[in-house]
Amino acid sequence: MPRGRRRTELLMLIFAVGVVLFAYASVGLGLNGKIPAGIAEYGLAFAAIIFAAHLAVRRLAPWADPLMLPLAALLNGLGVVMIYRLQQSGRNGDPGNQISTLSSSATTQQVMYSAVGVVAFVLVLVFIREARVLQRYTYTLGALGLLLLALPALPGIGSAVADTNAKIQISVGSFTLQPEEFAKLALAVFFAGYLVAKRDVLSLAGRRFLGIDLPRARDLGPVLIAWAASLLVLVFEHDVGTSALFFGLFVAMLYIATQRTSWLLIGVVLFLFGAFVASKLFSQVGERFTVWLHPWAGHNPTTISYQTVQGLEGMGFGGVLGTGLGHGQPFWTPLVQSDFIMTAFGEELGLAGLMAMLLLFGLIVQRGLRAAIATRDPFAKLLAGGLSFAIALQVFIIVGGVTNLIPLTGITTPFLSQGGSSLIATWALIGLLMRVSDAARRPAPQPIQDEGMTQVVRAG
Amino acid sequence: MNRALFRLSLACLVMFVLLLLNVNYVQAFQSTSLANRPGNIRTFDQQFQYQRGSIIAAGGGQQVKIAESLPVKGSNIFHRFYPDGPVYAPVTGFDSVYGATGIESAEQKYLAGTASNLTVHNLISLLTGKPKQGATVYTTISAKAQQAAYQALRSDGGHDAGVVAIDPSTGAILALASVPTYNPNQLTTLEGATFDAADKRLLADPAQPLLDRALNATYPPGSSFKVVTGSAGFSTGKVAGPTATVSAPQPLTLPNGHLLNNDGDITCGDGNPQVIQAFWLSCNTAFGNIGMKLGGATLHDYASRFGWNDSNLTIPLPVSPSVVPVVSDKSLTAYTAIGQLDDEVTPFQEAMDAAAIANHGTLMKPYLVQSVQAPDLTTIQSANPTVLSQAVSPQVASEMTQMMIQVTQNQAGTAYQTAGPPAVGTGLVIAGKTGTAENGINNAGLDDAVFTCFAPASNPKIAVGVIVKGGGFGADAAAPIAVKIIEAYLGVH
Repeated sequence: MPRGRRRTELLMLIFAVGVVLFAYASVGLGLNGKIPAGIAEYGLAFAAIIFAAHLAVRRLAPWADPLMLPLAALLNGLGVVMIYRLQQSGRNGDPGNQISTLSSSATTQQVMYSAVGVVAFVLVLVFIREARVLQRYTYTLGALGLLLLALPALPGIGSAVADTNAKIQISVGSFTLQPEEFAKLALAVFFAGYLVAKRDVLSLAGRRFLGIDLPRARDLGPVLIAWAASLLVLVFEHDVGTSALFFGLFVAMLYIATQRTSWLLIGVVLFLFGAFVASKLFSQVGERFTVWLHPWAGHNPTTISYQTVQGLEGMGFGGVLGTGLGHGQPFWTPLVQSDFIMTAFGEELGLAGLMAMLLLFGLIVQRGLRAAIATRDPFAKLLAGGLSFAIALQVFIIVGGVTNLIPLTGITTPFLSQGGSSLIATWALIGLLMRVSDAARRPAPQPIQDEGMTQVVRAG
Repeated sequence: MNRALFRLSLACLVMFVLLLLNVNYVQAFQSTSLANRPGNIRTFDQQFQYQRGSIIAAGGGQQVKIAESLPVKGSNIFHRFYPDGPVYAPVTGFDSVYGATGIESAEQKYLAGTASNLTVHNLISLLTGKPKQGATVYTTISAKAQQAAYQALRSDGGHDAGVVAIDPSTGAILALASVPTYNPNQLTTLEGATFDAADKRLLADPAQPLLDRALNATYPPGSSFKVVTGSAGFSTGKVAGPTATVSAPQPLTLPNGHLLNNDGDITCGDGNPQVIQAFWLSCNTAFGNIGMKLGGATLHDYASRFGWNDSNLTIPLPVSPSVVPVVSDKSLTAYTAIGQLDDEVTPFQEAMDAAAIANHGTLMKPYLVQSVQAPDLTTIQSANPTVLSQAVSPQVASEMTQMMIQVTQNQAGTAYQTAGPPAVGTGLVIAGKTGTAENGINNAGLDDAVFTCFAPASNPKIAVGVIVKGGGFGADAAAPIAVKIIEAYLGVH
């Protein structure tokens, strides 16, 4: 008899909340030698948010994967703790001098965003009772996604993120929003809907070249359009990371839909060509390559590679076991509260902690892919596979970038980076994966009991 | 579509594996090299957050703390303090917000506790909740010898001077003094601006207080170089022994027609003295002749055996090379042989010359660090005396010792009055050689006074090299300083 395993989820959630509270207390002990005053309030607020989500899942997606929600809750909680820790120490370790966007209310704000994120998660479960409902809105969501993507490029609305030249946010009243985070979801739905409809055509073989079946030239249209859209994001919003993420998401989904390796190759070639052109067109991109290859050369450590070098030296400072929360100096690294937050974890939780956190992300991806494989609906399969891959790719792009494995491109770290848009969108994404997982794990309807008898009655 | 999903899962796995491998590389393998990167702000900041190891003068059976880190009241940082700063400045150097010198720099990784062989100790402190602490560095410096050296230099009338004392049998450095000096406590401030002001003032001071004259200033060796010339003469067999006679006219006409004079134009014995007499009288013409017989290449070669011409010597502080260039012109060789022309020497080399003779011709590699002790009192590194070179044979060393004894014990010896029985009453015999080097163009300045010696002559415990710039006669200005150090170290008065 299959079980929903909600009790497992509850136990894991209690564990996750415990880890987060322990980390929060540890920050206070590390910084001031005492447990932070607000631990009861923050703890209760966080636990309430998380258990609300659990109750919603019990009601709305009882068969969903039991690990997904605890994993998300743990990462979200650790992110809030790190935001609190960074906000407490201030710029260059001077508490009177705030780190760019880390105002005194940053932690409270981040907890509120978490609450909104969980609301988004619940709303996804409430309104999308089956993944294929979304298929109806394929083109609507496609248009919405493109609009969201284009908004920050419009003059007067868009603005650059503090301390960067990535023009990816819009202002609504006193709030700023990064619409691309939501565009990611809308476009994933669009890609899934579009590819499910067109996959038979797209898998048709064209010419054979070097043992690979190339698609027909007329079918190249969609991939070229996605590529062009990515390049436009790059050109108008200076956002290399997001541009790479969207293109990677599209190519991956194209591959899932058609199972044609040729699409992957075409994607990689287009990507490399785009990266090459970009490195020639924008000094910023070329500079990132220099930092990647020669972070320590000449004056680079004090100029263009300062941020990367600070991140690496911070991680090295943490070593295998880390300095302990509150004992490191992550505040030297610019943008440590967003792009570079993983280096702060590396510094204070050490290699051990950083690997554990990477494994948390890895588990989310694995759980998502598992749901994709298990579910029967092709649209849901495609959507869950694409979204899971998007998380993996996003983590790879940003963590690989800050650890200098690949050239650095600014992009948020799911669940961890300061800011609401990414957090809310990621919670919604987890909602979608839970929905697919619920459908995948739901036992098949029992056959009607007297079905056998009807067969017997059949007249001869 | 599942086949594609499986493959995509593999791609995800590869991405995560790459990330995991890379963070392992950064945090496990690169951790130390990242910490030691110049300009690492965390390493820099951290150095004041825990107690840096002390430096101890541990030579001569006495232990005196010469550098320590003290907690600053009302904060969690430590401040470096040098209890007898100016005396030990050439040894300790200083540790400042902008870097370090001396032992502070040479033993940085131990004092700071970042050395790889301290990792286990640090881990244990971490696990047992003890604060991280640097290791203690025990130097070979003898507090008695160092204090005597500094006081003697200080009371020498404000000349630039450097002195070095070495234990000839091991190479342990007993004293390392230099004047004018500075107080390293002026540079330990944690305020960048205050440091800058003090540093600028010291750098702009025409007296050059930051220059360590014991190790890093060179002077003409003058007649003290006759120790090397004599050794080369005996070793090559070109001079049969101390009693062999040598031609010593006053003046000596060189092949190029120039005249070489003895000091004060005195005649050297009967003009054809034994080598030993020419040595105690310090006749330039006799040793000029020996030098011409040996040739420039041989002089250069024998000097090298005593440690000259070595630009890579570290103790572990870098020592400036003392130089005897290869002179091919025969007439000029006569000048080289008496320590003039382009010969240059540090007080440190003068001490090494004496130490080699004292130790039966075997020159031990000089060292300044006796041992390094982890905070839990286990010794993690300790000095192992090694031979630097065999300067001369024991036979030649004994002949040179005889000659050097006569310099102080023969009533006509150049250092009889200042390092012989009239000055040293207790029967202690010092073997030495004076040098009075012409200084400046046409000898415009006062002569530089040099003295190289060891004692007791029969069973040497200490070798000393002294140079007093512009001090005048070596016997008058330099020898008394050496005598004070020897008496203090040996405990005889």
